[in-house]
Amino acid sequence: MEKVVIIRYAEIHLKGKNRGYFERVFSVNLEKSLKGLRHELRRTSGRWLVEKFEEGYAEEVAERVSKVFGVHSYSIGYLVGNSMDEMFAAAKLVAPRTGSFKVETHRAYKKYPLTSMEISAELGGRLLADNPRLRVDVRSPESTVFVDVRENGKALVFGSFEEGRGGMPVGTSGRGLLMISGGIDSPVAGYMMAKRGMCVELLHFHSYPYTNDGAKEKVVKLSKILSRYSLTARLSAVSVTHIQEEIHAKCAAELNVTLLRRFMFRIAERVAKREGIQCLITGESLGQVASQTIEGMTSSNAVVSLPVLRPLVGFDKDEIISRAKKIGTYDTSVLPFEDCCTVFLPEHPAIKPRLEFIEREEGKLDVEALVAEAIGTLEIIEL
Amino acid sequence: MIYLDNAATTRPNAAAFNRAQAFLGENFFNPSASYGGGFLVHSELERARATLLSAVADPEKFELIFTSGGTESDNQAIFCAAKRGNAVTTAGEHAAVERCFNELKNRGVEPRYAPVKKSGAVDAEALLSLVDEKTSLVSVIHVNNETGAINDIAAIARAVKRKNPRCLFHSDGVQAFGKIPFRLPQEVDLYSVSAHKIGGIKGTGALIKRRDVALPPHIFGGGQEGNARSGTENVLGILCFSYAAQEKFKTLSADSARLSALRPLFLSKLGGAFLPLSEEGSSPYILAVSAPGTRGEVLSRMLWENGVVVGTGSACSSKHRYSRVLAACGYDKNVLDGVLRVSFSPTTCEEEAMRAAEAMNEAVRRFKEKL
Repeated sequence: MEKVVIIRYAEIHLKGKNRGYFERVFSVNLEKSLKGLRHELRRTSGRWLVEKFEEGYAEEVAERVSKVFGVHSYSIGYLVGNSMDEMFAAAKLVAPRTGSFKVETHRAYKKYPLTSMEISAELGGRLLADNPRLRVDVRSPESTVFVDVRENGKALVFGSFEEGRGGMPVGTSGRGLLMISGGIDSPVAGYMMAKRGMCVELLHFHSYPYTNDGAKEKVVKLSKILSRYSLTARLSAVSVTHIQEEIHAKCAAELNVTLLRRFMFRIAERVAKREGIQCLITGESLGQVASQTIEGMTSSNAVVSLPVLRPLVGFDKDEIISRAKKIGTYDTSVLPFEDCCTVFLPEHPAIKPRLEFIEREEGKLDVEALVAEAIGTLEIIEL
Repeated sequence: MIYLDNAATTRPNAAAFNRAQAFLGENFFNPSASYGGGFLVHSELERARATLLSAVADPEKFELIFTSGGTESDNQAIFCAAKRGNAVTTAGEHAAVERCFNELKNRGVEPRYAPVKKSGAVDAEALLSLVDEKTSLVSVIHVNNETGAINDIAAIARAVKRKNPRCLFHSDGVQAFGKIPFRLPQEVDLYSVSAHKIGGIKGTGALIKRRDVALPPHIFGGGQEGNARSGTENVLGILCFSYAAQEKFKTLSADSARLSALRPLFLSKLGGAFLPLSEEGSSPYILAVSAPGTRGEVLSRMLWENGVVVGTGSACSSKHRYSRVLAACGYDKNVLDGVLRVSFSPTTCEEEAMRAAEAMNEAVRRFKEKL
């Protein structure tokens, strides 16, 4: 009896004439998520089946596909012949040991000699006879045995529907460049855009030797977790060390962070345009820290022309944390490696910096040369 | 590369390692096996045990239990000895001891911490005042791993035993073993040592204990190490440890004297930018300095890029901004931020030390120029 993972998709069916395209991307994404595991992915009417994986791997297959956006629900079940004996053998494996249950049959193969009700009644009866500790409750059973009689002489038998993450297949909503730090927020921001189908590319800024290799390793780790959902293949890293030194040496201390962020936005935009990426993504949340005020965001936006998406802008820290925990990035984000050396952190950062002041201070720097120099340090890390 | 982070770990002694590897390649048998091969490995382990033990203690009075390292030895000593009442330690301990004492609280034993002096050595009188008739264990680090301050554990243990003869005395000797001349007095019951600080490989250590002290097992299983620490012995690590120690102890006094002479030269080469934190009379192997207002961590990475390797406080506690131990010594944040720990090896030559000092001065100059 073959164990399979059954996948049902979410919003794709809404997409009218584009449905074929969405489904193709979804298929490719499922394949990507299963990379490295022996399997066969098969499209059947209205669902996908993962079959022929090695024994003992069903949970891992399910775990991986559960992270693919566009999955509405999934089940681990059995693919068997549609004879009553075979369906019963599978039903016995998924049925509970004790308590109330019912059998719910869906019959896609309308020529099957029994109706759905008759199949449920027959299998239910056999299960009851086989295990006296079970009882039937068709209104509110503790467990349900689902039987899906297919047209090719096969049937699927499974015990539950696990909820997928919904959303749209990654790659169907353009490309964005996420500025990823080692913090809690940016991976969540990337996750949210990927969930809406955006292909999320990653850019990290470091300031070695003021930050250490541990900080970079942490970002790589976060990127790997995020890439399970976003299917991102690599991370770009750029050094802003010299920029930080220059700002620190020449500009008003309270603008350190504001000015650095403007540089990061400029660098990100250059990288994005070079790669044909359509927007920037940040993990900013309004008012969370001194640089994330509307004035701070305005000052960053002023140096770029690409749209800047801030999916967390209206979220409280608690909400972001609870999402990070669900995504699985939280524990890594709170590892104690700093993104920014404390020498560069001003005692009192400007909360509402005026643009004229910012531009005057920035005028002390050779912005173009520093940006070009930083882009020259870009390295690519394969995830 | 000029490697001056020998208190964190040392380059393995190649001859010792090759000899141990060759032995293990031929004699891979389980030392507990009852046939000839097993007995042969067992015998070599026993020779290693005797070598290591006799280097610092009287084998008639003490025995040695192999462990996975200094941390495990400290854990075994503390959790097996501090079973009731209170336990006293110092504010200058390595995390392997400090964390155990914090955990004692959860196990119904009251931890007590004696303050340290500016040098990092314990205030012995304050320590004694914490010892009472309910004290079941006192643990005092032998050589402070951050400043190199040496605690006179023989005198402290004697005074502790006068006050409470029933309590046990433990010392973390990881930075002392194979480095400073010392014999274990009978007042010290338990002593932790580690292989990779003296040319052995990581993952091997030992707990030396007085034979008449009964210690319950820490790890249960096949009954190895006289039932005190089960698990098939790490033959490669243990043999390498003993072969490396043989070499080390031969030249211990000479090395110690040479490094003591090197120290003032090194310090005078260091510019006024560095404040020495280690005091006179501390281990010649460890020198803590600070360039106030800089960041030790950043300096150490700048130095790494220039082929000079030094530490920043204790490697095991590098995840916290300030060194807990140095903060306990009473230094302010400005000093704590800029700490580097330079730790020498017997092979460190004067020229290397001078070049390292120059590189350190240069790193501070660059740091200050940029920031």
